[in-house]
Amino acid sequence: MASSEKYVPPAPLSDTTVALLVFTVGAVLIMPTLDSFGVIDHFTLNLWGKYLCYALLALSVNLLWGGTGLLSLGQALFFALGGYMHGMYLMRMIGDQGQYHKPLPDFLVFLGWTELPGFWKPFEHFSFAMLMVFLLPGVIAGIFGWLAFRSRIKGVYFSILTQALTYAGALIFFRNNTLMGGNNGFTDFKSELGFALREPSTQRGLFIATAVVLIGVVVFLRWLEGTKFGLVQRAIRDGENRTLFSGYATPTFKLFLFVLAALIAAIGGALYVPQVGIINPSDMTPEKSLEAIVWVAVGGRGTLFGPILGAVFVNMLKSYATRAIPDLWLILLGGLFLLVVLFLPGGLISLPAKLRALWQRFRPNSNPVNAA
Amino acid sequence: MAHPLLTVEDVSKTYDGFKAITNLNFYLFEGELRTVIGPNGAGKSTFFDLLTGRTQPDKGKIEFGTDPADSYDLTKLDEVAINRLGIGRKFQTPSVYAEHTVRENLVLSIRGTRGVFATLFHKLGSRENDRIDELLKLIRLEAKGEWKAGLLAHGEKQWLEIGMLLAQEPRVLLVDEPAAGMTDEETHRTGELLLSLAGKHSLVVVEHDMTFVKQIATNGRVTVLHQGALLCEGKFDDVQADPRVREVYLGRGKHGTR
Amino acid sequence: MRKPFFIILALLGGFVAAFAEAPQAIIARAAVAKSEKTQGEILTELMGNADDSILPLLDAWRKDRLFLYDAPGMPPVVVLLQGAKDAKGAQQASDILTGKSLAVRLVADDLNAVPHSANLRRIMKAVLDLTDLSSANPAKKLGAIAAIGQGQQIEKLPALEKRLAVETDPQALKALREALALVRLRSSDATIKLSALKELEAQQSLASTDFIKTVIKDATAAKDDKLVAAARSALQAVERHRTVVDFGGTLFRSLSLGSILIIVALGLAITFGLMGVINMAHGEMIAIGAYTTYVVQNVFANGLALSPFGFSLSLPGLHTTGWWRESYFLFALPLSFLVAAAAGILLERSVIRFLYRRPLESLLATWGVSLLLQQLLRLTFGANNVQVGSPAYLSGNWVVADILLGWNRVFVIGFATLIVIGVWLVLTRTSVGLLIRSVTQNRSMAACMGVRTERVNMLTFALGSGLAGLAGAFLSQIGNVGPSLGQSYVVDSFMVVVVGGVGDLIGTVISGLGIGSFDQFTQQYSPTVAGALANVPFVGGALQNLAQDSAVFGKILVLCVIILFLQWRPSGLFAARSRSLD
Repeated sequence: MASSEKYVPPAPLSDTTVALLVFTVGAVLIMPTLDSFGVIDHFTLNLWGKYLCYALLALSVNLLWGGTGLLSLGQALFFALGGYMHGMYLMRMIGDQGQYHKPLPDFLVFLGWTELPGFWKPFEHFSFAMLMVFLLPGVIAGIFGWLAFRSRIKGVYFSILTQALTYAGALIFFRNNTLMGGNNGFTDFKSELGFALREPSTQRGLFIATAVVLIGVVVFLRWLEGTKFGLVQRAIRDGENRTLFSGYATPTFKLFLFVLAALIAAIGGALYVPQVGIINPSDMTPEKSLEAIVWVAVGGRGTLFGPILGAVFVNMLKSYATRAIPDLWLILLGGLFLLVVLFLPGGLISLPAKLRALWQRFRPNSNPVNAA
Repeated sequence: MAHPLLTVEDVSKTYDGFKAITNLNFYLFEGELRTVIGPNGAGKSTFFDLLTGRTQPDKGKIEFGTDPADSYDLTKLDEVAINRLGIGRKFQTPSVYAEHTVRENLVLSIRGTRGVFATLFHKLGSRENDRIDELLKLIRLEAKGEWKAGLLAHGEKQWLEIGMLLAQEPRVLLVDEPAAGMTDEETHRTGELLLSLAGKHSLVVVEHDMTFVKQIATNGRVTVLHQGALLCEGKFDDVQADPRVREVYLGRGKHGTR
Repeated sequence: MRKPFFIILALLGGFVAAFAEAPQAIIARAAVAKSEKTQGEILTELMGNADDSILPLLDAWRKDRLFLYDAPGMPPVVVLLQGAKDAKGAQQASDILTGKSLAVRLVADDLNAVPHSANLRRIMKAVLDLTDLSSANPAKKLGAIAAIGQGQQIEKLPALEKRLAVETDPQALKALREALALVRLRSSDATIKLSALKELEAQQSLASTDFIKTVIKDATAAKDDKLVAAARSALQAVERHRTVVDFGGTLFRSLSLGSILIIVALGLAITFGLMGVINMAHGEMIAIGAYTTYVVQNVFANGLALSPFGFSLSLPGLHTTGWWRESYFLFALPLSFLVAAAAGILLERSVIRFLYRRPLESLLATWGVSLLLQQLLRLTFGANNVQVGSPAYLSGNWVVADILLGWNRVFVIGFATLIVIGVWLVLTRTSVGLLIRSVTQNRSMAACMGVRTERVNMLTFALGSGLAGLAGAFLSQIGNVGPSLGQSYVVDSFMVVVVGGVGDLIGTVISGLGIGSFDQFTQQYSPTVAGALANVPFVGGALQNLAQDSAVFGKILVLCVIILFLQWRPSGLFAARSRSLD
């Protein structure tokens, strides 16, 4: 950054607040209302529910990458683990409504099990499943993070190791003998807490729950940014050594953030499963993590709304492109990513400012106050 | 004589066969301002690395504390623990948080909360705010408190880092080339600042600029390092007159004739 | 060649009478014999006879192409119908006894085929098995010997014995002795059984395990302690040998996997060391190398028609044959290097040069490139795997002390050694290497000294990508070639770079071999340790369950070990210890 640039005071918070307000009203009130009056169809609402879950995943990636400078390729693992834990409850709720009409999940019947394996049993309780949604990803992130940060693994090394972690997770879940559905994962869910998942009203409820959780997470992250912790977090990103030599145990801070990000991803995954109706190991691959990183990069890393914007935008594009030009979708995704990394490091959210700057360059005298 | 605050005895460190520090002895007393000079590759940065726990010596002892019964073995502690004992370090290249404002840089450095949960719920008190204002005035950045630190000029960054060091209220300040990139006037002011700190704090200053060294070493002692070993130690004039020093350092460099 | 052979056989075998009669005559006699039983007995006379005429005749019999022709006023003649049918459906007929064509052409539908029952077909099969015993083709001969041993039919013993007496090839002799011993395990004579066990023990015959176990079971039931003891001892010897062979095989596979990882990781380590760029598209460079091999193969054969993006593109074929066609791989090797290197230069110029010193961004951008390239390959060559055949000199095995060493893998190991030495020479003995090392150590200083760092970057990237291309050419000989070929190796080779330390040749070699061996050995032995793992508190059951899937378990264990290893050496095995701040 050239030192000749003059200081520009940070944008007042009101922008964020307004955006938050618009977003809240839009998500929680308008869309489900439109849906219940039949203005938008159930499919669209469901699709948006999925986008919002992805937005949670994007926020989790951004908390580490944008906020702390840790590029984790493991967030899809935590997302999928959250999904699987909730999925286990949903599988139990199928009861004997499966294709084999046995009181245990179809894939277990198929594998020759006649009785439920021990670790499946407590998952018939919703509260236990919800506990596990947080506990399993949290513990895995805790152990891995403790080891990784303790030995000062950072930068690309951290990315590569989290990639390997995710890869290992996917390998485990691909096995039939893990008793988690193998290749096909979990699907054919019937009900959640007694509400049929097929009912539009249930889906509407899930959408509202997702939106509320997302807003809660955004508010929480906004609060976190403002604390001294937030200052330390960004200090680690910009100069970890200085932070370390100022007496901050940066490994502990990073561990806390890594676990926190894992939990945010896990809630996203848990909300994703009942709305999308399926979870399988392909949601757990390093490629999924990288896809989430694309969302963040495209939206704008290091900002609060950039990742959400990116998740929604890229996934809308994906929904369209995989239907209209299936062969070219991956090329489009790869190319988009390349372009953003090379030419728009600030992401879409920085586009207005960039355009404004460009505009002022062409009309230098039109607005002398801001151009100075 | 009192027990030294910092005791370095018979310390050696090699990197891949390269002897960075060899059998070094060094004693720093409470309130002292010590200047360390030496040509490039003399091992000054490694010396600081050893004192701050960034690296561990192959042999020798490094202890901190004026009471021998209650002193700390620094070779067993990491950067964070050593910093919390009260040893602060300013790096050779100014290392400030470029994306934070000047004020935030000081908030991060000010003595106090360091733990994860403590920082989550920490509220900046009026005493801390006053202290920050005081420091801003001291380092002459009170007008630029809301600037991003990355936008400061090189000399200003050096000052900010010194300010950050002071905010930590350390017992020992390790200052690596504070005057690099400063104008003569700024250099002089830096010297005055460091001199004013001596007594309250103990300081080790590594420097190349002989005018500056002369300024800050008027009352203190100067240590000359050469090829990782102690060459000589004494008053500035004695050191300058020492033929060995002239040969390895002063006689050869342009600084010496200034 | 064949005739004197038979004479010796006949003299030694004591079946003089049978051999005096030509096999054609025997078959003709059998064909007209009245009862199925007699037919069987006559055919049995052919046992051990290796005459070339037997196979086509018995084959014709089995497939209903052997007919009985009742010419007026003459005894029935056994005929074979051959050649194209004419307008009436008639074919050329030949008397099998004389081999001469008949004057008349016959229609198959008018004649009765010589009948064959299941029992007869079994006898024919047995005859043909024995015929193979004296086959000129060594592989066929060994196969036949082994099959007889596995079949354990006591009535085939004389044929084996006869063959043993005349066999000269040491490999076949060993196989014959093994087969004899296996068949003799069925003998009713206890002494023969004992000596057979001794022979198997001496030979450490891996094939005999199940048979010896049967002997132990039967002997235990019959309370024949002596036999049980002998069998136990033989089994132990065999199992000991198997342990050694398994170990040797695992070691060999470790070396071969390690070699591949080294070639793949070498390129990554060099580019990472030099430019701080982790190239996520490295896997696609591997795939490009493999597809280059595929294209070269097809050009040497009949050409290749591709249709990327709906354009049709057809490469002409050279229609080579024989040795020339086999040599395609020798051309493919340098080409795969060059094509991947060119792709690397393109990637460096168009993307990576903007991202030096931004390692995380370069990781992401190259991932984008990786997606792009994968899809391009998929659109060009199809989503399915393509076939790359191995030339004759790379297929087959080299057997050393019962350890099968695939020639393709032996080749990979040898070539990897050459490449490591080559890269080492380039880096240490050439001016390019000097430039590369100087830029690695201090980029800005090198630039000040007049090194054109841009060009060095390009060259280095080309070298790294070219090595990946070579790895692709090798992989095409070992597994399938598909658009995501590189993906399965790239995670492992990242691990090699992490463990080996950046930009260090020896580190890469050691960690490549280490990770390769660790992977293969855990795969080999994880079922053995699965039981012990069950004792681990809490997660014992899960661990045991996991250990049964040795491939997955190996990968996961490698990851765990690497993470623990990094606790001990955070910057890898041979990281240059840096004094700089970051």
